[in-house]
Amino acid sequence: MNKLHLFLRTPTLNRKLLNPTSCLKEICSNKSFSSESDNNDKKPKKEEAISKLNDLLKKMLEDDVQLEPKIKLAQPSYKKEKFSKKKSISKEPVKENIVKAVKDVANTIPGDPKITESELLTKLLTPAVETPATYNLSDIVKGMKIDRETKPSERQTRAEQVKNILQRFKPSDQNLSSSNQRSQRRQQIPKKTVESSEKIDLFGSAPLGIFTKKEYIEGVENKTWKSLNERELKLAITHPPANYYQEMILWTEQGKIWKFPIDNEQGMESDSVSFDEHVFLERHLEGWCPSKGPIRHFMELVCVGLSKNPYISADAKKEHIMWYKNYFEDKKKLLLEVGAFPAETKSKQKSVE
Amino acid sequence: MSLFLRFRLRNIQKNTLGKTFYSSKAEEKIEIPNRIPRGPTDILRALESTVSRDPTAAHYKYHDDPFLIPMSNVGKRTFAMAQESGRKAAHWIRKEHADLFNHRECEPPIETFFPKITFNKNSKVTEEDLKNVIDDVQISEAVNVYKICKENNIEVSQVSQQKLLELLCYYNSEDTLDKEFIEERWFRQSSRLKEKQRKIWRDGNFAEELFISIENPTAEVYSAIIQGMAKHLQVERAWQLFEEAQQKGIIVNTDTYNSLIAVSNYLKEGYDQRWSFAFDLLSDLNRANLKPNLGTLNSVLKTLSTMGTGRVTKTYTLQVLREFKDIGIEPCLASWYYVLITFCKDRGPTSTILTDILNFVENKEHKIQDITDTNFFVTAMDICRNHLHDVDLARRVDKMLNFGSNYDLMGDSYKESIYYRNYFVLLSESLPLEEFMRDIYEKYVPHIYVPEPGVMGEILKIVDINGAIEFIPKLWSDMTVFDHTNRENLLETVLDIMVNNEIESELKENFSNIAWDIFNRIENQNENRTNKIMFTGDLLGKILTLVTRNKDFIKSCTVMDKLDKGHSTIVGVPKIEALSLFVDQCIEEKQPSRAISCIQYCSDSGFPEATILAARLNEKLTLDENHLNNLSKIVGDLSTMKAQ
Repeated sequence: MNKLHLFLRTPTLNRKLLNPTSCLKEICSNKSFSSESDNNDKKPKKEEAISKLNDLLKKMLEDDVQLEPKIKLAQPSYKKEKFSKKKSISKEPVKENIVKAVKDVANTIPGDPKITESELLTKLLTPAVETPATYNLSDIVKGMKIDRETKPSERQTRAEQVKNILQRFKPSDQNLSSSNQRSQRRQQIPKKTVESSEKIDLFGSAPLGIFTKKEYIEGVENKTWKSLNERELKLAITHPPANYYQEMILWTEQGKIWKFPIDNEQGMESDSVSFDEHVFLERHLEGWCPSKGPIRHFMELVCVGLSKNPYISADAKKEHIMWYKNYFEDKKKLLLEVGAFPAETKSKQKSVE
Repeated sequence: MSLFLRFRLRNIQKNTLGKTFYSSKAEEKIEIPNRIPRGPTDILRALESTVSRDPTAAHYKYHDDPFLIPMSNVGKRTFAMAQESGRKAAHWIRKEHADLFNHRECEPPIETFFPKITFNKNSKVTEEDLKNVIDDVQISEAVNVYKICKENNIEVSQVSQQKLLELLCYYNSEDTLDKEFIEERWFRQSSRLKEKQRKIWRDGNFAEELFISIENPTAEVYSAIIQGMAKHLQVERAWQLFEEAQQKGIIVNTDTYNSLIAVSNYLKEGYDQRWSFAFDLLSDLNRANLKPNLGTLNSVLKTLSTMGTGRVTKTYTLQVLREFKDIGIEPCLASWYYVLITFCKDRGPTSTILTDILNFVENKEHKIQDITDTNFFVTAMDICRNHLHDVDLARRVDKMLNFGSNYDLMGDSYKESIYYRNYFVLLSESLPLEEFMRDIYEKYVPHIYVPEPGVMGEILKIVDINGAIEFIPKLWSDMTVFDHTNRENLLETVLDIMVNNEIESELKENFSNIAWDIFNRIENQNENRTNKIMFTGDLLGKILTLVTRNKDFIKSCTVMDKLDKGHSTIVGVPKIEALSLFVDQCIEEKQPSRAISCIQYCSDSGFPEATILAARLNEKLTLDENHLNNLSKIVGDLSTMKAQ
């Protein structure tokens, strides 16, 4: 792995780093090389570690092939590449690509990707002099635990880590054109390994088998509790009104304004009497009231008056009319005499008509 | 009426006969549609459905005065709370001066506007009054009336007693927030939720007194008291009473079973015990022939969601879903919320169950069925961002939220801001920056969502990575509006971005203005502030760089003076690049004394580059004797050095 930073320093190899797969291959070949040298050292106590390592590397190489289509990495578009051709490869894209490549590598290697990644990056960015020449892969890998469980990575902190490290090695003469920098689009964050990416059939499991009866009864009911619960549910979705209509709806529900449409039935919803019962009262005259003459005239006026009265119920109105009916009934004799009441037969004929 | 109809009918027949020559004699039937009964708000709702949310306009509650429209989160909250406190003041006056509000102007009168009837010891009460206050959810007043009834030996029927008991149990004998105060409810935050983690049932409260006073308690009575205790986490006593009821052969209702299942994590420690506890209660329910309901499903799922990350928990969850599906109980959003938190644990493996759930709940309008329904959206978005990092899924969740009246299920302002926080950060990380700024940022900020400082930091970070510095002026002006300018880390990020991206364009002037703005803001901080931002050498160096780049020499000098004078108080020193830039600027402006004082500062700060700067000054400008002397005092003999 220590070789990696050496490639970095040689400008011709810089290009390779732009391609994460080639980069990965480099790392892998490098690893296998150093592990071979380990074998040559013949350290029996490390044998187990080495065989593990070999497995690991094999797996990496396999993964490597699969990785190619899976991971899309930002590559400077053709136009932009032309733009920056003269400067070979500017440092900014290299930086970005290193980070990405390393991220990918870290995710491929079992173990905590965060640790791996930061290790790789520190290695990459440490100047060659500081690294002891004998430092080889096995020394690094030796310290790693093989842990299959992927832990949720905290990207921000990792990104910060990377940035901090990069910051230190940022060249002071940064004369990159902004278009060049712009070509560096942020990548989609590599997804965590997903345990159950297959479709879960939510209702496909076997039932528990507790409720197998056909008939169930409703138990006793706490009516007030239920209504309070409904009240709370209603309040949970009652949010500050977002326009005037909503506000009016709210006010209507709270009983702060008259119900719409505003008519003379306001507040009388409880007695389910239609308005015609209140207004068209002539129907109660039929059968007893003469069709013309002073009594008819009087009764019609009574009906008009009653129909305009909003304060008494329809029944009271009817009662009122019936009172007159009885009254005239009592005075029938007199009325017949004065001719205000037509003779019996006539009235019958009228009603037939 | 009928006459009129007949007339019309005849008319129509005549018309049709006259016009269509061949029309048969078959009688034409006119169907008069039945009257559709409309509720009082139906027309309003129809009108309302034509108005959609305008993201460019402030919320309805803020737009009374365009000059006072709040922009920051704090501002919005303060504004709404001020309105609310106005309402409360009005309520208080009405209560204190009830006699002034009995003017019955309108007919029919609007009862809500009249002062509430209060009762004292001497007032004559009836059972009717008790019923009224219970229906009006005035808890302490209900207790009061009940006590007066008892004192005056007024018989209170068992039905009313039961009503009162249920009211007291539901609200733990405490007054609840009036339904009028919608704003307070919206901004109350979920602090209440945290409060609910511990026992809040007040032992020996009036509900318990009432319970004891009831002779031969029925199943309703037991159900009410057990539910009340379980709801307010007096779990041991609730369980005790449940067993007591069972011994007496009283069968409590399904909701009571539900409430006990829901608190199993307080009653049982181990996961296995919890599950067997819930399982036993379910079996009891079945044995008692009681019909399980949605609440039962949610309680079981809630229990399962507290049972760790094991695989078996997930299996149980799916089994429970199937079990209830078979008896015809469809899960609601609350059920899915519990399923989500069961499957997607922070420390567990990743699960894509959200996709499957979305397939099931998408493109539907959801009505609230459980108080926990409001947790669904915020949790789903959290999982999209932190668990799955899936933008497409996040977009689907957002689409579902905006479907029909689903937005009502958002919960409160706190949940809403967490929802958007997750949505924003996820999108900003995944979308190309231009697209994000154009489609998302412009749309939601500031009226629907105001990014918190943390989110703003994330956006700035992404701007930095993309080098998209043209957004900086816009973001800075937003930051000033949102009150983010007292965050040291944000100020530093902004300055860093501006310093690290040197450009030749009109942005330079913008940057200089921003830097100057930052300088002034730090300079003119309120003396009494607790955590004031202190100038650091680095910070001032960056400001110096930015104003110098724009050739604002006077401003540069002010910053340099600040540095120079505060040499002992300001922590750290600026980068030498900033100082060197300033010296160059001095040379350009032909201000050798300024340059010399800067070189003095360099030398005092221990920069070896002071000599180089001095040499450069000497070379570029013809210095008089005085200046030369000063310069040589600082860096030694000038004649021996050469500028590089």
